[in-house]
Amino acid sequence: MKVRQRWERWEALGAAAVFVVFDAPELLQRTMFDDIEVASLPFAVAVDRERVSYGAWGLRRARHRDIWLDPNVYRTYWRLLRAGDRLLPGGSDVLQLGGDFLVDARGSIAYARPQERDDRPAVGELLAAAKRAAG
Amino acid sequence: MAHTPRVGDPAFALDLPTLGGGRVALTDLRGRPVLVSFLRHAG
Repeated sequence: MKVRQRWERWEALGAAAVFVVFDAPELLQRTMFDDIEVASLPFAVAVDRERVSYGAWGLRRARHRDIWLDPNVYRTYWRLLRAGDRLLPGGSDVLQLGGDFLVDARGSIAYARPQERDDRPAVGELLAAAKRAAG
Repeated sequence: MAHTPRVGDPAFALDLPTLGGGRVALTDLRGRPVLVSFLRHAG
């Protein structure tokens, strides 16, 4: 429900979204998408098993200490577990970092936030960037 | 290792198969803002 409400705010700006993932589709379906019908999602989920696009967009792998010595990682897990989430298998590479980029209507980067550690921008920050990019 | 795109740079290419069995290309979405979100591992 939360995702749907956020998506409505995103769609109201006329914006699209592509989520790029690299794990095996079967694992993604069981974990990230919790067995929901992916074809029904209003955004694209692109699979890059070889992580070619991760490399091309300059997204690096973290060092072990960047992940396992980061107190935010443990705070996040604790918060999720308290909220009733379950621990899931970690995927094929826990060190691969991601990033969020907003491309404007002309094809230029309007917002860039490559990860340096296990963190993500707040949805509000992305919505504000999309609002600016939409003019 | 390539550098990450910075604000003002032209977006890098992106053309990949989708989990639903189709294909998505950034060029096909030109004309509207697009969030490109590279996720970490599943789980």
